[in-house]
Amino acid sequence: MSLISTSSPSSKTLPILRGQHLHLWFDHEKTKALDDMNYAISENEFVAITGPSGCGKSSLLNLLGTLEIPTGGTLFFRNQNYHDIQDLALFRRQHIGFIFQSFHLIPTLSALDNILVPTLGNSQQKKDVTERALDLLNMLNLGGRSNHFPSQLSGGERQRVAIARALINQPDILLADEPTGSLDSINAQQVLDILCEIKQQQSLTIVMVTHDPAVALRADREVRMRDGKALDMTQVLT
Amino acid sequence: MNLIRFAFNNLYRRPARTILTLSAISFGIAAIVALTAIAWGFEASWQKANDARGTDLIVTRLASQNSMPSPFSAEKVQHDLLMIPHVNQAVGLLSEMLSVSYDSPPLFVFGWELPSYLWQHLQLLEGRWPQTRDEQAVMIGALAKELLHKSIGDTIEIEGFSYPVIGVFQSSALVENGAILMSLTQMQHTVDKEGKVNVLNLQVDADLAVKEIEQIKKTINNTFKGFMAITSGELVSQNAIVRISKAMSNATILIASLVGALIVFNTMLMSISERTREIGLLLALGWHPRTIMKLIISESAILSLAGGMLGMILGIALTYGLEHLELMRGKIDAIVSPAFLLAVLGLSIILGVLGGLYPALKAARTQPSHALRQE
Repeated sequence: MSLISTSSPSSKTLPILRGQHLHLWFDHEKTKALDDMNYAISENEFVAITGPSGCGKSSLLNLLGTLEIPTGGTLFFRNQNYHDIQDLALFRRQHIGFIFQSFHLIPTLSALDNILVPTLGNSQQKKDVTERALDLLNMLNLGGRSNHFPSQLSGGERQRVAIARALINQPDILLADEPTGSLDSINAQQVLDILCEIKQQQSLTIVMVTHDPAVALRADREVRMRDGKALDMTQVLT
Repeated sequence: MNLIRFAFNNLYRRPARTILTLSAISFGIAAIVALTAIAWGFEASWQKANDARGTDLIVTRLASQNSMPSPFSAEKVQHDLLMIPHVNQAVGLLSEMLSVSYDSPPLFVFGWELPSYLWQHLQLLEGRWPQTRDEQAVMIGALAKELLHKSIGDTIEIEGFSYPVIGVFQSSALVENGAILMSLTQMQHTVDKEGKVNVLNLQVDADLAVKEIEQIKKTINNTFKGFMAITSGELVSQNAIVRISKAMSNATILIASLVGALIVFNTMLMSISERTREIGLLLALGWHPRTIMKLIISESAILSLAGGMLGMILGIALTYGLEHLELMRGKIDAIVSPAFLLAVLGLSIILGVLGGLYPALKAARTQPSHALRQE
């Protein structure tokens, strides 16, 4: 069993995310994506999860984002057991923002409309969310790109649109799966700068999966994984 | 940006498939519109003709459901019918659909007792009426004149007999406008059915209430063995051609609806299987499975509604085309009512919702983590 303490720079605060003895098995227990995994992530912490391919990084991210249900163990959001959450979709909409390596933007929608996608079907005021989306575009230096389609944007710009989309519902946690994996080093640095900046500005907790040690260095803390377990915890001082 | 606009956007993303599906739905709806309009129109045309003549009751052979009721010897029945109180007239009519030349479509040829009230609703456009029942002459309707390219003084060959055209008339009923008219005696002679009629048209006292006409009808039905008295509406609805055309239109509605729903079902199923990763993304972004369902059903409803609207336009055009076919002219007065078109649109939406229901449910059950891993 590997228990990761919360002795990070934010250790005085309560963990926003906590997992105990987590197991995630696929194919009738043939594949163990997570094997007795424990973790605790504090409010406003930027955690990088690293490790070789297939070690369970993305599976952990999916569990945190309620996209997977654990085979065993318990997850908590603040003090609420994930098991007790009645409406997982509502939980995701209110608390979680996702960023993906390949951006996953909808090609026939403009940058602005892509950002608004998570708000569709909600009872939020259209004017309010549109204003918020435009603010986010400005904040991410995409003010002049609101009507551009993904094919008209560079890789870095696309990822910034994806970040704005993740932030539109004002989440508490940002889950980023290899956010710089498809970017060149300059754009990758820009995206990491943005993540650090919005973490500070919006008191966000960020959990980022990466295989790049240089990228992991930008986080407050690195969790290294192997074979579905956390190996150790490296504190990265900011 | 709202859900409906997003649904439109998704359809726009796959133009070829959207156009193909729209076309398939619109052809189905067009077939429904055209066949139903023709079936109803056919019934209405005959109804109109009977109503225009001012007939209160029609006496035919019992359960005679041919396109034209079977001919029978009229004399005795006619005599007995006139004995019934309040029955003023019992007028014989013999009609058949006949080819009058090699190059023209078959036309209705009517033989009406002369003189009788049946002739009174016609308006003489050119020429004159026949003078006697034995006059070897025909009148033609305004449309028949156009179809046959005949004028007054020309002759028309019917069943080997030559008849001069002596007049052109106009009727409020399309079937009469497209017909040839002669005296009953001449018609019986022409088709070799001396003394026979298809129906006897009864006219009762003008001040008689519906209830009293019903009573006369009952009396005839009880006392005239082998015959029945019916209203003109009943005669039309029992007509074999009307019944067949209605059955065909109902079958078309059923088949086209089923095919339409299956097409929408297939399109939406393909669409969601191609968009599995995107649906997973939407779920990861906080969309409720219910919202995914709404999106897919909106897409299928938009498809079928647009298909329905296109189909309506096509159907109206097809109806117009069929009505004006040489073979059909003068026989069908198609009815395309706003209420019917509204019902067709309603049917389109129902097809869309039904066809999209299972794909929507399937999409809503997508496992986001699995979907996001798909290439």
